Amino acid sequence: MASKSTPRPLPGRHQLPREFIAQHQRARIVNALALEVSEKGYRSVTVADVVKRAGIARNTFYENFGSKEDCFLAAQQFAMSAALDRVVAAAGEIDEWPRRVAAGLAAFLGFVAEEPALARTCMVEALAAAPSSVRYYEESLQSFVSLFRLGRDVSPHGQELPETLEEALIGGVFWILYQRLLDKDAAGVEELLPELVEFTLTPYLGAEAACAAVAEGDGASAAPTSRG
Amino acid sequence: MSEPVNPSVDSPEYPPELARLPPGRHGLPREFVARNQRERLIAGLAEAVAENGYAGTTIAHITRHAAVSRRTFYEHFSSKDECFVAAYDTVMAELRRRVDEAFNQEEEWPQAARAGIAAMLEFLTAEPHLARLSMVEALVAGPVVIERYDAAIQGLVPYFEAGRQGRSAEVLAGLSPSTEEALVGGMVSLISRRIFADRTEELESLLLDLVEFALTPYLGSAEAAKVARQG
Repeated sequence: MASKSTPRPLPGRHQLPREFIAQHQRARIVNALALEVSEKGYRSVTVADVVKRAGIARNTFYENFGSKEDCFLAAQQFAMSAALDRVVAAAGEIDEWPRRVAAGLAAFLGFVAEEPALARTCMVEALAAAPSSVRYYEESLQSFVSLFRLGRDVSPHGQELPETLEEALIGGVFWILYQRLLDKDAAGVEELLPELVEFTLTPYLGAEAACAAVAEGDGASAAPTSRG
Repeated sequence: MSEPVNPSVDSPEYPPELARLPPGRHGLPREFVARNQRERLIAGLAEAVAENGYAGTTIAHITRHAAVSRRTFYEHFSSKDECFVAAYDTVMAELRRRVDEAFNQEEEWPQAARAGIAAMLEFLTAEPHLARLSMVEALVAGPVVIERYDAAIQGLVPYFEAGRQGRSAEVLAGLSPSTEEALVGGMVSLISRRIFADRTEELESLLLDLVEFALTPYLGSAEAAKVARQG
């Protein structure tokens, strides 16, 4: 989560803009908290732990965040944005809905596999943190709903589908990924892509068409890889 | 132990129902009293958490609701977390009992699955505080509870795996190793969102959607919708 090239202040009288330093300081604090939470669990982490890990003064923490809860929310938002960026990049330009879903899911699984610490922050730790985190988690799930809802327009029986279908599909996919993250088994999640694509497309297109979409996807070019 | 099991009748912590008994050693078997106290502590925790949330609940809150002494609390539990685990297990055992009973009453799997889902929704609706305890507060009550929570959800998988029995090769080909996990995760997601938002009155209206969602992979959507609507 820390940027690969940590900027150092230039020697001599040149100073980096305070805003620049502040941004990076904030990122450093958020990073420190995320690491502490992944090691100790949200409840046990104290602000003292975070300032020590980040190598900053206590004052500096409170200049940036009102509380541990605020700081965690920032970590969670950072992590979820990283996931959504990948999904949008992969799926945003694709018109054909089944391929759009497949690309979006592939991107999300890629995120989980390549950034398990971030994934844990926004998908595991978030649920055991503060109410604001749970609320943000719920909102994040909702942002995936629109991706799936488009399926109602291409489905032969879109009108008859249960109102809560998208919510349930997304909840199901997240639950599976959550288990893998818990078991520290995130590296292999990309193997789940075919079955997850089939699971999510089937209610809209039927098993046969969903299966065909999966087969087609296997032959298609891979979704854009991470940009780091 | 040479001391009397309970504090003196005149102390404010003396359980009211026992105050009617003659003072001193009342002759109830220690096991009975212990079990009774434990149950009261569990009920007391549930009430305290409903009032204050898990983080805001103190042992004093619990003992006040349970009408037992602090010392008695520590005879049964070493911490708030431990008491919560016991409460959680108690609630889940009751939920499981009701789901099992409803499920096993039906001969055919689709109806059994429907009955199980209905029983779960019924219980959570009838006991909104216990619903909140087991599905919202449980997540912030420490790692032991979270493990139980995860296991409880995974424990629903077999009810749906049973749906694979007797299906055609075509249907089975459409299922994957993670199908039941996804179904269960999806259903719980819908339920816990409403409980988190304090909208337990909406739970029973989820029945049709949940049954259709869960049964579709095994029966197809038309048949699943039909089963969902059966009374």
